[in-house]
Parts: sequence; C-alpha cells; structure tokens
Amino acid sequence: MAAAAVQVAVHDGHDDVAARYRDVDPVYAETRSIRLVGFMLFLISDCILFSAFIFAYIYLRTSAPTWPPIVDGHQLPWFDTSFAAMNSIVLFGSGVTMHFALENWKHLNKQKFNRWLIATIVLGLGFLLGQAHEYSVVNITWAGSTMGASFFTLTGLHGFHVFVGVCYLTILGIQANRGVYTGSKYFGLTAGTLYWHFVDVIWVALFFLFYLW
Amino acid sequence: MTEALVERGVAFVGAILVGVTAVVQLKNDWAARGLDADVTKLLLGLMAFGCILALLAALRILGVHA
Repeated sequence: MAAAAVQVAVHDGHDDVAARYRDVDPVYAETRSIRLVGFMLFLISDCILFSAFIFAYIYLRTSAPTWPPIVDGHQLPWFDTSFAAMNSIVLFGSGVTMHFALENWKHLNKQKFNRWLIATIVLGLGFLLGQAHEYSVVNITWAGSTMGASFFTLTGLHGFHVFVGVCYLTILGIQANRGVYTGSKYFGLTAGTLYWHFVDVIWVALFFLFYLW
Repeated sequence: MTEALVERGVAFVGAILVGVTAVVQLKNDWAARGLDADVTKLLLGLMAFGCILALLAALRILGVHA
C-alpha cells in the first residue's frame, strides 16, 4: 500500500517530495524534514570549509608576481589538463550513476539499484586511483611552493571526501540489501546521493581553479 | 597517437555522454518539489556545467597555457 502510494506520487507530473512522505507516514515525514535540514547544514559547513581554502588559493595566486611560481630559478610546470579532464569525467559519471541508483530505488527496482551503486563506487575508486597517479607524476611538492601547498591541500581534502563517500556508499549498499530502507523510507540513500553530488560539484570548482584558470 | 590525445578523446566522449545524461535527468526531475529535489537539481546543473568545462578542456579551448 505504501509502495503503491509512492509509485503514484513519483509518476505524478508534480512530484512533491514532502507530500509523498506525509501520505505514507506523517511521523516519518516530520523527522525526515528535520534530518534533511541537518544534512543540508552539514553540506553548507563543508562548503564553507572548501571556500576558505579556495579563497586562500585565489589570494595566493593573484598576489604572486608570476604563476606558476618560480622556485630555485625555475618556473614550476602547469598541471596536466588532459589527464585531469578525463579523471573529472570519471567523477562526474559517478554522479550520474548515483542518481540512477536512487531513481531505481524509488521505483522499487533493487537489482538495478545495486548495479548503479556498484558502478558509482567503482567510478569513485577510479577517480581516487587517478588522483594517486597524478600525485605520483606531478613535479611539485607540498612544502616546496604555494602552488604545491594549495594543490595538495585542496585536492587532498577533496580526495578524502571522495574516500569517505565511497565508504559511505558501501555502507548504504549493505544497509539497503539488509532491509534497512524501504520503498517509502530511504532518507539515508537520499543523503548519500546529495553528498556524492556535492563532492562532484566541489571538483568542478577545483578542476577549473587548478587546471583551466 | 600520444597519451594526451587519448585522454582528451576519452574526456571529450565522456563529457558529452555524462553531460547529456545529466541534463536529461535534470529535465526529468524538473517538476519535483522539496528541499532535497531542489538541491539535487542545482547540483545536477552544476555537474552538467562541469562537463562543459571538461569538454572545452578536451578540445583545448580552456586550460591551454603558453
């Protein structure tokens, strides 16, 4: 009955998410709203954390006489844009697969949900491996210049978020398969999807700042 | 064929595929209302923008440093 109510609401032209949950379980709808606001506050606080480092990088870059900076008489090299573009697409692709995973859960298709979730985790790990490769070949160090310090701090912080996201999605997958979530109660999956999209969008900013600017 | 050319080729094809899929999903979710739906739409839109940046980088329109 609850699943049917969800299905009807999802296929309706105007999918009011809050109304969908009120129809199924008013108590759950209320706690879900509170948890959602709490999760949004977490994402905002994370956004502020990244903003602080990003503005520090912009300040350092715009106040430097030359960029890349000159260290020991040699100008540091630019980062590899081609590889970064490819690695970015891996991460953005994982955002799309995560979106598909959640949509399939909403439509009660657990098998496809699992497939898309695994694809997301694999792509997330692929991005991390790409970052590790870049760290191994990039010709700068953390302590050697403001460019290196900014790059490793920001991409490292982002990489840590991706790693946490991969662990988070793995736990969500295990929970989903153990029956923690249902067709009408799946806030954890919504939060996981929002977190993963957030991590993707942070990378859009970092990709522009370090490789395209 | 250089390694960079292969990477840009993958980025080019991937950016089109992922970007178009993100825009289609955004269009499908456009009618959805609620805080999480609105934030998802915003984030999907920004991700599609990221795909445009990757596409321009793959075409060497952006990220070419003298």
